[in-house]
Amino acid sequence: MSSLLELRDLSVHYRTARGEVTAVRSVSLGLAAGQTLGLAGESGCGKSTVAMSVLRLLPRTARVEGQVLLDGEDVRGMSWGRLRAVRWAAASVVFQGAMHALNPVHRVGEQIAEPMRLHGVTGSVSALLDQVELPARAARAYPHELSGGQKQRVMIAMALACEPRLVVADEPTTALDVVVQAQVLDVLKRLVSERGIGLVMISHDLSVLASTCDRLAVMRHGQVVEEGPAREVITSPTHPHTQALAAAFPTVGDPASRQVTPSEGAGGPVLLRASDLHVSFGATKAVAGVDLEVRAGEIVALVGQSGSGKTTLARTLLGLRKPTSGRVLFEGRELPRSASGLRAYRRQVQLVLQDPTSALNPRHSVYEAVAEGLRIHRVDGDESARVAEALSQAELRPPELFFPSLPHELSGGQRQRVVIAGALALGPRLLVADEPVASLDASVRGEILALLLRLRRELGLAALVITHDLGLAWTIADRVAVMYRGELVEQGTVEQVLLSPRHDYTRTLLAAVPHAQRSTRPNWTSSP
Amino acid sequence: MTAIAWQRRRAAARATWREFASQRGGLVGLIGLAVITVLAVLAPLVTDASGLDVTRVTARPWEPPSASHWLGTDHNGRSVLLLTWWGTRISLVVGLAATVLSVLIGTVVGIAAAHFGGWVSAVLMRFTDFFLVLPSLVLAIALSTVLPRGLGTIVLAIGVTSWPATARLVRAQTLAVEARPFIERARALGGGHGHVIGRHVLPAVLPLVFVNTTLTVASAIVAESTLSFLGLGDPTRVSWGSLLHAANMHGAVSQRAWWFLVPPGLGVVCVVLAFTLCGRALETVLNPRLKGER
Repeated sequence: MSSLLELRDLSVHYRTARGEVTAVRSVSLGLAAGQTLGLAGESGCGKSTVAMSVLRLLPRTARVEGQVLLDGEDVRGMSWGRLRAVRWAAASVVFQGAMHALNPVHRVGEQIAEPMRLHGVTGSVSALLDQVELPARAARAYPHELSGGQKQRVMIAMALACEPRLVVADEPTTALDVVVQAQVLDVLKRLVSERGIGLVMISHDLSVLASTCDRLAVMRHGQVVEEGPAREVITSPTHPHTQALAAAFPTVGDPASRQVTPSEGAGGPVLLRASDLHVSFGATKAVAGVDLEVRAGEIVALVGQSGSGKTTLARTLLGLRKPTSGRVLFEGRELPRSASGLRAYRRQVQLVLQDPTSALNPRHSVYEAVAEGLRIHRVDGDESARVAEALSQAELRPPELFFPSLPHELSGGQRQRVVIAGALALGPRLLVADEPVASLDASVRGEILALLLRLRRELGLAALVITHDLGLAWTIADRVAVMYRGELVEQGTVEQVLLSPRHDYTRTLLAAVPHAQRSTRPNWTSSP
Repeated sequence: MTAIAWQRRRAAARATWREFASQRGGLVGLIGLAVITVLAVLAPLVTDASGLDVTRVTARPWEPPSASHWLGTDHNGRSVLLLTWWGTRISLVVGLAATVLSVLIGTVVGIAAAHFGGWVSAVLMRFTDFFLVLPSLVLAIALSTVLPRGLGTIVLAIGVTSWPATARLVRAQTLAVEARPFIERARALGGGHGHVIGRHVLPAVLPLVFVNTTLTVASAIVAESTLSFLGLGDPTRVSWGSLLHAANMHGAVSQRAWWFLVPPGLGVVCVVLAFTLCGRALETVLNPRLKGER
């Protein structure tokens, strides 16, 4: 087995203002043709740096040690001309974030043809589009006319343009929702098996890698901590970091990853109720007739693809947007319309946003961010004591230590805790959390979810968690509502909906979840 | 607990100053401005104001520079050095006052248009467009002809005609800030318009307004000189523009009295250059996107 790509003792250091930072520390990996290698790890672990070093695409400040052998030839020793010839013709990259990697002012056909023109290769754009299951007329489209999944497939077609033997895919499905992700992964898998190319796939999501890769390497702090056949790494991880990563993406139906007992959170009085709620933007109906209940002390997961209207529904329930028709009732009373009435309502229902980095004003310290709500509502009493209490409820201890910190000095998980503390300071009864862990690293996700559960147990806090991740719903929710094109197509307890789904759309969503075939996977497709 | 906030603000101010000081152009501009301002403030203490009075002059008209009159004399025999020195005061006062007025209108209109949106935005932006397309000099001339002559009129004429660009700029920045999720968080916490604008939008927009101010001062001073040169200024006060106006009216060119024309002109150039240097340096410090291009 001749290896297509071989990394020997690769180290990469970056020169920064604070001295040299080592991003990758003596990594050795190999990949043969027709194989898929998964590179897993959290943000900042050096996985993208490894990928970019293959084509010498690192910034000038990087210093590389060791060998990067592409078909036995060291990339580091190549002349500029040779490197240009190798880039794309021998190895190509599917960049992270297809939204930004395509030039918005050129038709995608031209962009796919660009590497062919540069390398003097003949080929047909429509054949390439066909390979990624796009119609030939897509070549005439501009990037903004395509959906996220289509753009990602264009990126893959572009990577295949010069028939490379190696493709490096950097987080190819991160911004996509489950159904589209499954389609893109299928395309990649098929290409590897049909054309015998080698694929290096980078992701923070072990379940994505588990479903596509033969071999898996888990990185942490620039080092490979575990490497082996994908199935083995997932099912019996030996390194604690791998175990944490694997646990962060629970399998639906696996009792071990379910963290609520069915008796918990049931039977409270109805806190929030939406009845026949409609919200339209001009002609498009974002929410079309939704009936939803959240009881006191209950965690409800609202699941759906992007564009299904779940965020609009959440905004309407919070009173941030006026419904076109229908009613929202909180404890049996209709949501107030006046500014002061809404302000009083906000003490009861609070919002936790997806990306804590942008949800916190970068100029405000942690203290100010948490005290903001208290100041708006002119809450009497000792402000700093209340802030300290909210911070320690959100498990930022000791709270005084965090008072003067600015958001950029905190980690992603800590920032999300600050957002949660800001909501808790007002003593709400219900939290509406919009994808509360989607932008967080795997190991932090579990902690934040555990925090939500603990708040429910200790403070009786109800939560409406909006997510596209069925595994998350399985982990923490009591009830699940599935949203599709503005309507709730199915709702019920987690066990009912996720283990024996009745609606086709729920089945599609469940089928699209990448899974590692771990252990007790229920065979729900055979149920009626 | 506001102590934390103040501590942080002081630290931020120190960091901004360090960055500013690392730019030679900005530092030169700032020193130039400081010198000019000190001279302007000290003028009544150091010099004798009676030298400006035409009835009290002793020197002959159109005297070239000499030891007794470093920059020669004007058509009335007054010292050009003294006139230029006193002219600094009016130019600076008008420049700064007009800028404050213009930036104030621009900021209020810009933030209001972006924050409230809808028909408020439509009305305010059409209003802004109206002022934007009018030739501002012509409008200023018209205003200062109609209104009673005086310092206030000049300030008003310049201030009222130069705000639309600021309004557009502030509106764009406000829109960008308001799209950020922390604004939504503030609303969800129960914050009203006042809270969102005062705590989140204004602090984010102010640096831009600040940069814009220093750059507007420069053009306001030029505008003042232009209006005064055209004879629309306050006739009882000496400014650089009115000096140039007088020089033109009384035939300084045909007298070959270069010493009457050059000093006020150079004065305008120096002050404008100093403000522009400061503004550009400040822009680089406060706008991270410009940093890489240096």
